[in-house]
This record gives sequence, C-alpha cells and structure tokens, in this order.
Amino acid sequence: MNDFAKRTSIGLVASSMAFAGLAALSTGSAMGASPKSSSNTISVGTLYASTGSFATSSLPEYAGLQFWAKSVNAHGGMYVAPLKKKEKVKIVAYNDQSDPATATTLYNQLLTQNHVNVMVADFGSVLTAPAITIAKDQKQLLFDVTGSGTSFFSNGANPYVVLTSLPVSAVWPKPVAKLLESLKTKRVAILYCQNDFDQAQATAIQGFLKQKGITPVYFQGVPTTQSDYSTLVQSIKATNPDAVLELGYPNNDIAFLNELKATGTHFKFVLTPFLGQLPTLFSQDVGASTVANTYTYAVPPTLVINKVNLGLGLTAFVHHFAPGKASTVNFLDVAGYNAGLAVQAAFAHATSMSQLGIRAGITAVNGKLQTLEGTFKVDKTGEQVGELLPVAQAVPHGNGYVLKIVYPATPSQKTMVNATPIYPAPTK
Amino acid sequence: MQLFQYAVINGILFGLFFGLIGIGLNLLFGVMRLVNLAHGDLIVLGGYLAYSLSTIAHINPLWAIPLSIPLALVLGFLLYQVTVPRLKRAADTETASLIVFFGVSQVLEAAATMMYGANQVTLPSLGGPIDLFGQLYPSSVVLSAGLSIPALGVLYAYLYKTRLGLSTRAVMADEHEAIASGVRVRFVATTAFMIGIAFAAIAGTLSVYMLGGINPTTGSALTVTAFTVIIIGSLGNPLGTAVGGLLVGLASSLTQAYATEWTGMVPYVLLLLVVLLKPSGLFGGKVRRA
Repeated sequence: MNDFAKRTSIGLVASSMAFAGLAALSTGSAMGASPKSSSNTISVGTLYASTGSFATSSLPEYAGLQFWAKSVNAHGGMYVAPLKKKEKVKIVAYNDQSDPATATTLYNQLLTQNHVNVMVADFGSVLTAPAITIAKDQKQLLFDVTGSGTSFFSNGANPYVVLTSLPVSAVWPKPVAKLLESLKTKRVAILYCQNDFDQAQATAIQGFLKQKGITPVYFQGVPTTQSDYSTLVQSIKATNPDAVLELGYPNNDIAFLNELKATGTHFKFVLTPFLGQLPTLFSQDVGASTVANTYTYAVPPTLVINKVNLGLGLTAFVHHFAPGKASTVNFLDVAGYNAGLAVQAAFAHATSMSQLGIRAGITAVNGKLQTLEGTFKVDKTGEQVGELLPVAQAVPHGNGYVLKIVYPATPSQKTMVNATPIYPAPTK
Repeated sequence: MQLFQYAVINGILFGLFFGLIGIGLNLLFGVMRLVNLAHGDLIVLGGYLAYSLSTIAHINPLWAIPLSIPLALVLGFLLYQVTVPRLKRAADTETASLIVFFGVSQVLEAAATMMYGANQVTLPSLGGPIDLFGQLYPSSVVLSAGLSIPALGVLYAYLYKTRLGLSTRAVMADEHEAIASGVRVRFVATTAFMIGIAFAAIAGTLSVYMLGGINPTTGSALTVTAFTVIIIGSLGNPLGTAVGGLLVGLASSLTQAYATEWTGMVPYVLLLLVVLLKPSGLFGGKVRRA
C-alpha cells in the first residue's frame, strides 16, 4: 500500500498538472469564429469569456460591442475614409473562458487565421495583457477596452495600443486619496489583489497618501482567486482603520463585502472598485443594506453624459440597448459600445488601411471626440487621459441604494457632484 | 494574540470543510483507483441545488443536504454504471479515468453555465455572527464546519463499524486479495462511488457559504484543493483526509494573517513538501490493512 500510495501521490500531482493543461486546451475551442474577413466588411476581432472569473464583466462588454456593430450595420455600415465608402462591420469573436493562456492563442489566431482588420481586447488587465504583447510585437492596432494596468503604458510611445474606456488604473485612486484627505482619515488599510489592475491602484494610492504624510496601516496583496476573506478582515480590523480600500475584481469585492456582513464587521469607510460598474450584481449577491454607504468609482450610467458627437448619448444608449430594462445596463455594456465608437472614429479618419493609417484616425479625433463616456483622449503611450473617474457613494434610498457622486476627479466634474460623503458610515 | 486565535479557529473551521470536500474523492480513489476530475464540479452541482431551493422554492438552502443525498446516490449509481466498468477494462485505469472525468467536468461546467449563467451566485447568511471564544465568526461558516464533523463521523462509522465498510477497506488495501476472500468488489465499488458522490453533494451545499459564492468554474479550484488535501493526508485514508484538510485550512488561515501575499502558494508548498519528504502522505504509514 505504501509503494502504491507513493507512486500514486506523485502520479496525482502530475495528474493535477495534466488537468490544468487539459483545462487550458479545452478552453481554446472556438465559439462564434468566422472565416477570413471578406473584402466588403471590416472585421473586428475580439475575445470574450463566457465562463470563469471574468465572465461577469466580459460578457456585458462583448454585448456592448455587438450592439455597436448592429447599430452601425443598421445604418449601412461605418464610413471607411481610405475607401471613401461605408463598409459593414463583422465581429469575429472567440471564447477565452477567462484563461490568459488561451487568450494568447486566440489573439494570435485572430491575426494569423482570421486576418482581422483591428483587434478589440477582452475585459480587464489580465485578459488584455497577452494582446498588448502581441500588438506590440506584430505591429497590430489593439483597442484596449478596460485593460488599464499601468505596465501596459509604461514603455514610452506606442502607436499600436489605444485604451478606450478608462484611465490607467494608477490614476483611478487620485480622487479617492483627495477624498480621504478631505475626510481627515489618518489610518488607511489597503487590501489588493495581485494583478496589474489592482496592484497599480494600490501602489498609486500608497504613493498619494505618503505625499500627505500618511503611511497605510495595512497594505497587503492576495491572489486574484481569493474567495475567503475571513482572517483578512480580522487582520484589517486589528489595525483599527479609518478607511478600508479593497481593490479586487467583482468576485473579490463581493466576497469581501459578504464577509463584512457575515461577521458583523463595520468600518467607517469602505471602497470597492466594481460596485460602480456592476451595481445590479452587487445588490443581488451582497444585498442593498451591506452595500449602502460604501464607496466606489463613478462610471456611466451613474455618470450621465448626453452631449456627444459620435454615437448615442448615455440616456439614448440605455433606452436602445435594454428597452424597458434600464436598471440592467452597466458600465461594461457602455464600455463595449464605446470601444466600437473608437473603432468607428478611427476608420472614419484613417489615412490608409494599414495599421498605422488606422491609428492616424485616432490621432485626428484625439481630444475632440465626445462619446457617452466623455472626452476621448489618449497620450502617446495609448493611455486614456480624457475620462477620469469621480468617487461615488451608495446612498441608502428606500429599500435599496443609489450611487451618488461625492467627489470629482477634475474641476470640470464639480457640477456632477450630487451628494456629500456620509462619513463615518453609520452602523447598520 | 487575538488575531492568532482567530486565524487558528478559522483555519480549523475551513479545514473541516476541506476535509469534507476531499473525503469523497479519496473514497473513489481508494477503492477504484479512479482520478475523478469532476469531483469539484459535482460539489458545485450540490451548491446550485441549494441556490435553487433558496431562490426558486424559497426554502432554507440547508434542506439541500437531505434532498441532495438521495439524488446524489442515484446520480452516482448511473455515473458508475456508465463509466466505471469500461474504465476498469482499460489498460491504464487511472489515465483513462482522468480523461473521462475531465470530460464529465467540462459537461457539468457547461451545463451549469447554461442554467445559471456565468455570474457568481451567493446565498443569504444563516443568521448573525456567532461568538467563539470572544470573537465573531460567520454563522454559516460555523454551521458548515459543524455539519462537516458528523458527516466525517458517519463515513468513519461506515468504514470501521460496518461489514460493508470492512469490505471497502479490504478493496482499498488490495483488490485481488479482496476478491480472493470473497468480497463482492463490484458491489463495494458501486456503493463507495455512490457515497463519494453523496459527500460531494453535501459539501456542495456548504461550499456556497464557505467560499462566499460559487460560479460554474468554481469546481476546478475545488478539485485541486481536494487533491491537495488527500495527497497530504495520504491516499485511501479517510482519517488522513480529515487531518490533511485541517492542515490546509490552518496553513491558509495563518498565512492570510501573517504572510498575506503567500496565501495562494502555501498549501501547495505543503503539498510539495509532503510529496518530497513522505510520498505516501502523512498517514501513509498508518493505513490499516483489512
């Protein structure tokens, strides 16, 4: 039995590794793949995740992009300047099932097999990272929707990546730091997930706070797969913080808030990034009473921008995207649609059909394009600098809550502020 | 000191649950040498049953435990009949089972996605926090861990206090000798398979609380955790599985408290150490022969 157990213990470790390998292979199966783009269409290659930890965010983003393509095609296609005519748009999409390794293969496949005209990345930094490398190596234009990891834009000028929806994640917490300063918080706890998106935010806010002479009383990273927050919450509680910033992806944020609820733990200030992007999911999985008074980044539809010069304004988008179901529309739907608008603007002002020619279209509209997410402006690295995020708080309202903007990211956003922060959050 | 106490108790609570998720897998492997890569997905299936009871039937999700047991036994019987006899005829049963159950895992994951969507689903808490030695713990975690103890006890009683359990241990020790001794191996194996699936279903209900929620891909991570637990504890030894679960739970919890950034790695470092230093598992040398 011992020999057998020895052999099989090692065998099972190998089996587990094989399992991981098999899992990776299986997720490589194409779904919705199309053949090469035809001469009468502009093919936009993208990936989405129907399962896995990023599906919650990836699917609405993909739905937004599909909605854009459908809208454009309903009007005869989008104008392609080098061809001086309208062309229909074709979305070529593969399912990466939230696996970065699979995404690498599939991004390559979009280029080598499908020969797409441009690529739109999947949701978030983890699934965008492989595309960034490919875009740079193969000189292929990539529209990065929500992959805002700072490292993507830290190596100087890069004409092949365009971040469409969000500023780089290191910029996000700047208004949060200012809000914390205005609230006179001294003891700040930061718990972050170890990925580009969250780690960049954590490091940035640590820097902002240090400039004000504040050293976080808790600064720890956990794997992005973390689901058990019990001991972590107790560790944070032991530091007696004035404010707690939990920087994760949706599943992390939800698990963290649920842990607070289950243990009856109360903090004076709690911020989670994805409440603002997926409020319906948070209401459903965490409950309105727990979400109430927590803070997040304000994004559309909380931010209502109707003054646009391309595509639909926010109100019209919500109306057409989900008729009669306005409350189901989230930021990621908007982000997918907005990425489509960026593609549309690029082709409308492109100087040629080469990748740099299409990129020239972005340069032509840079800082002038107004979409439902605000001013579209990228710097030479491709980083989005036009759409900065104010801070919102979930203000109790009836049996639920509404997200109110409590602190602006820019002076021009001061008019958007529609509530004062409730601090410290009252005990529930 | 308070944090250390919290981490230890929390580690024990989670460890009991980890033992429960490993026990069914260990039973299947111990008796049939089957590598059930769908084990985590079967656990998640149990979780979705609890979720359905709560959201559709509006009854306490804990009713999923008694309801899931007969369902799991039937599912286990059918799954056994369809897969195991063929696998046992394969030249390399372990490898063949790895592939077959990987397929089962993918089917279950896809079915769960179709039925429940890709989003995380959660269940409402079972009540306010519970005070243990002066510190508050989620009631659902305490209850889940508490239910793991009798579940593990039932399996122990089955294995060590019943005639069928004796036969099961005989097959675990040496299938050929068991056959020579007149043990009805197929009956024993079928029963073990059904019980293993039933334990997965029980763990499933509790997993929604212990993990803060489930989604269709949660099963893969649970399978890996279950393998870690049973390899640390030693294959084919239920007591070892319980201890393996406790070690993984304690290691995870203490790491969260004192070396947070290592949280994801420590259980697997423990696994590697065990495999390198004592390949038969911590309890490998103490396996009782039938």
